[in-house]
Amino acid sequence: MEKHADKVIAKIVIALISVYLVAPIIATIMYSFAKSWVNTILPDGWTLEWYLQLVTNSDFLSALIRSIILGIVTTIIAMCCFLPVVFYANVYDESIKARLRFITVLPFTIPGIVLVTGLVRVYANLPIPQMLVLLLAISLLSLPVTYQALDNAFIAHDFRAMFEQALILGDSPLKAFVKVVIPNIRVGMFIAMLLTFTSAFGEYVLTNIILGGNYETLKIYMYRLMQSNGQASSVLTTVYFFFLAVISIIMIAIMKRQGNKKVEEVGDTKKL
Amino acid sequence: MATRLKIFLPFGLLILSVLIVPVSVMLISSLQNMDGGFSFSNYHQIFFSRYYRGAIYNSISISLITSLISLVISIIGAWALTKLSLSTKNILITVFNMSSSFAGVPLAFSLIILFGNAGIFKAITSTLHVHDALNIYSVTGMTFAYTFFEIPLGIMFFFPVLDSLSKEWFEVSDVLGASKMFFISKVIFPIILPNIVEIFVLLFANAMGTYETVYALMGNNLVSIPTVIGSLINGELVANVPLACAFATLFTVIMTIIVWLGNRVTNIKGRRIS
Repeated sequence: MEKHADKVIAKIVIALISVYLVAPIIATIMYSFAKSWVNTILPDGWTLEWYLQLVTNSDFLSALIRSIILGIVTTIIAMCCFLPVVFYANVYDESIKARLRFITVLPFTIPGIVLVTGLVRVYANLPIPQMLVLLLAISLLSLPVTYQALDNAFIAHDFRAMFEQALILGDSPLKAFVKVVIPNIRVGMFIAMLLTFTSAFGEYVLTNIILGGNYETLKIYMYRLMQSNGQASSVLTTVYFFFLAVISIIMIAIMKRQGNKKVEEVGDTKKL
Repeated sequence: MATRLKIFLPFGLLILSVLIVPVSVMLISSLQNMDGGFSFSNYHQIFFSRYYRGAIYNSISISLITSLISLVISIIGAWALTKLSLSTKNILITVFNMSSSFAGVPLAFSLIILFGNAGIFKAITSTLHVHDALNIYSVTGMTFAYTFFEIPLGIMFFFPVLDSLSKEWFEVSDVLGASKMFFISKVIFPIILPNIVEIFVLLFANAMGTYETVYALMGNNLVSIPTVIGSLINGELVANVPLACAFATLFTVIMTIIVWLGNRVTNIKGRRIS
């Protein structure tokens, strides 16, 4: 009997928390379809006008493309830097993992706004493209997410045996890695890439300060719109939200296919 | 040896170029005046200016209150989550995950729609003729705004901890005649205490470093450590990168100490459940 009561309370608690957390998102979505919504409880009417306006706006498309480029390049850099290290740590030397633990607290002790002071001090006046500094810095800040997701990918197989057999059969280390290891971690790698892409795609602090608005990404565009046109901005926020939703749904689908064991690791991936 | 070098080279270069070098320069610059000479003037300025002390005070008080509130709510939320069926859990984890990544400009914008001066909340309170005490553009408003990403983050940290607790413990203590309150306070609480400390530290640190949400909501009108750093770099007041470096150094030192202390408490208590 008591168990049943527990369940009811649990459902009520979760419902309350979900409503609280989702309210801002719902309000934004409603706002994006509203004709006008000022000082009233519900909008005056519904329209798709703002969506058409945004989609046909060239600023939107170029901001979107810039964010996608940022996401893709960062993902490539992050994979090149972290994949070999995570592989080595998991397969040859577990003790490295203890030393890499500092990574997990990095975003808390040195968040973007702190790191950026040093970056500006060192690189702002050097004749190197600030874009490069930005890309490397975003890759670094995505490290905890990427690292954790990649680390999860190496659970469950004996990669050392696989890798060394490939070497004995005459493959070069790189070839062995590409032919033998990557196919076995492709799911985990894909998840790591999605997470890295998402974090770079939505980056704001570093992009805004290092490039100073010269490179208008989706978030910077969103901020500019917010100051001038609330309706258009709500459309952009809604689109951004759906983008996040689609990525999450893809990840859940992949993990479901991996079986329930992997599902539990979602929690771990998030436990940075 | 050569292979090892190849493996660590890209990673090492990245860490060196965008972490070690900038952070070292940040530390050194914090001890330089505008002309480049060695001095403590930046720190002197921070501690003796009422404006900058206010930034530190605001940051700490907002972060402390918001992370305490979020901590309590997320423990309850994570507990409730463990009681639900597996498929519901998965859906909710996705929801919480999304609402935590919604932080920043999007969150600021939706809070303006909800609680801004022409927002829905204002409309509701004025139709009902209730006095509306919430001003989102204030220190209290910020404390409130932070809970929207701190709570989901806390739930995602706590869920694996509570989910791994053994169901049998409750049955054992029940059979031995312990009440539910006794079980929670004498069995569960001591076990998860280190996790509570650890998660509190993470939530606090996360709130301390929040820049995007504050900046998008209030520009530099709310004086906190991150917004002061931002305006000192961007030169909206007067650009003074060394002073920004001093603030950043102060931040890093405080956070490193807190995270380290948190870890120590966790390790002394031992028995981490994970």
